[in-house]
Amino acid sequence: MAAVRDNVFPTRMNLTVTKARLKGAQTGHSLLKRKSEALTTRFRVIVRKIEDAKLKMGKVMQNASFSLAEVAYITGDISYQVRESAKRATFKVSAKQENVSGVLLPAFEPDMQAGSQFELTGLGRGGQQIQKARAVYIKAVETLVELASLQTAFVILDEVIKLTNRRVNAIEYVIIPRIENTISYINSELDEQDREEFYRLKKIQGKKKDRAAAAAAAQNELDELAKLSIQDGNLHSEIGLSEDQSAARNILAEQVDEDIIF
Amino acid sequence: MNEVFFNVDAGYLEGIVRGYRDGLITAPQYLNLTQCETMDDLKLQLATTDYASFLQNEPSPLATSTLSARCTEALVAEFQYMQQNAAEPISKFLDYITYGYMIDNVILLITGTLHERDTHDLLEKCHPLGFFDTMPALCVATTVQDLYSTVLVDSPLAGYFRECLSAEDLNELNIEIIRNTLYKAYLEDFYSYCQTLGEPTASVMAELLNFEADRRTVNITINSFGTELSKDERAKLYPRLGNMYPEAQTKLARVDDMDQVKAILEQYSEYKSMLIGVSMNVSSSSSGGNNAELSLEDRFFAREVQLNKDSFEQQFHFGVFYSWLRLKEQEIRNIVWIAECISQQQKDKINNYTAIY
Repeated sequence: MAAVRDNVFPTRMNLTVTKARLKGAQTGHSLLKRKSEALTTRFRVIVRKIEDAKLKMGKVMQNASFSLAEVAYITGDISYQVRESAKRATFKVSAKQENVSGVLLPAFEPDMQAGSQFELTGLGRGGQQIQKARAVYIKAVETLVELASLQTAFVILDEVIKLTNRRVNAIEYVIIPRIENTISYINSELDEQDREEFYRLKKIQGKKKDRAAAAAAAQNELDELAKLSIQDGNLHSEIGLSEDQSAARNILAEQVDEDIIF
Repeated sequence: MNEVFFNVDAGYLEGIVRGYRDGLITAPQYLNLTQCETMDDLKLQLATTDYASFLQNEPSPLATSTLSARCTEALVAEFQYMQQNAAEPISKFLDYITYGYMIDNVILLITGTLHERDTHDLLEKCHPLGFFDTMPALCVATTVQDLYSTVLVDSPLAGYFRECLSAEDLNELNIEIIRNTLYKAYLEDFYSYCQTLGEPTASVMAELLNFEADRRTVNITINSFGTELSKDERAKLYPRLGNMYPEAQTKLARVDDMDQVKAILEQYSEYKSMLIGVSMNVSSSSSGGNNAELSLEDRFFAREVQLNKDSFEQQFHFGVFYSWLRLKEQEIRNIVWIAECISQQQKDKINNYTAIY
């Protein structure tokens, strides 16, 4: 893990770019973290609601099937009549969308239409019980719709929360360390380069110094030689040469001297 | 003189039907049934009753619908045995009893025809007591017009159709209105037929049919509140007999709520007692008092059972056949109710059945 880094060329340019990426990753991480927290809060609420709705559904369904038993006691089997007299749906479910932190949750809404087609069923006997059973069953279906909407939201939210958490963790434990590794790699490479450069300069400087010293030493030698020759000339002139010759020699010596010093 | 010759034709059958009556489940047996914890227990308890042979071959997880079907089979078998052994006036009387079921069957088939269903499936749903020879032919007819002209003319119900409905009505009217119109015609016809049978039968049946008519009147009134049924149409559905005909019926035709119905019923001593403690409001009974509170419908059942029991107190009349059938039906309802309560674990309401003996 620690060794994982991006395969980049260690330059100052790349260092700037990578640092910008690190900044971006950190912002993204905190945003995603906040999103996941918001979703989890919502999720908890839904879980609680589902529990309530399930308990309620148990009770309501029991009630409903019992009211059907009451109808059966008084009227007998009415299922066929009811089925045949139903021409259009009085109970419809419409779906709309709800936005929770960027997640679209479907919400189902019951849509009741007034009036019933079989209101005359059981006219001679048991009509009241039939209407009562109808009312109870409408309530049961409403509970079912509510539960369905909650369950769908539950499944979708669960998925999204998992996805978000995965992303948060990926950023936290993979991407950010990798970027940090890259940065430290680039830094260390750059430092290394710096050190090399510095050493190189030092080395060059040293060489230059050496060379300068060598040059200076050679000059001194020449000077010494020149001095020696002048002394020789003096000796010669003393022996027998004219003044002009010695003066001309002197000027020459001076010129040579200047050249060498340079 | 009726009594002298009664047993020539009817003695055997009367003996049979009184024997059947003794086979009805009694209060201690009901007590045993209500104590059952599972459907298997219930089945075991029912093994000591007349239903034993019909239930013994059922596989163990017994559904209430199967139970109800088997019990009905038992009832039908007993009734058909009587029909097969009946001689003239009784056979006619027994036929009259089945006409009520025929109406239900025909209505079922008409509904199926109107919605273009496969009528063969419908035949299985028909009540076996209301089966008549030409009924399978109803499946051939594809339009309601055909249905009437080819099949119903030959059936015993033709008269009722002719009197109150035209072919157009069959297409236009609500099927429930047709059903109630037919039933009204049937009750009136049955009543007038019973009056021709001479004394004990006439008076016993008059009482039973009057009660049935009154019950229908009240139910139609209550159930038509807040529906599209107009008051004139409502008045047309009332059977033209019963204790409340015609005076209270004309009043009931105009009422708008339960309190007015109550006020009218209180003028009749036999119904006044029924109303005590009855919650007249359906919604309040569904939300608030879910306990042992009885509905008006339950009171009607109790009253019906009482009247039918009374008819066994007299001898030499045909009313016993009608009464036995009604009691048996009530018994099946009770058994199914108890079974439902057991299978749905609603033991607190298990005692809401209407005990017979």
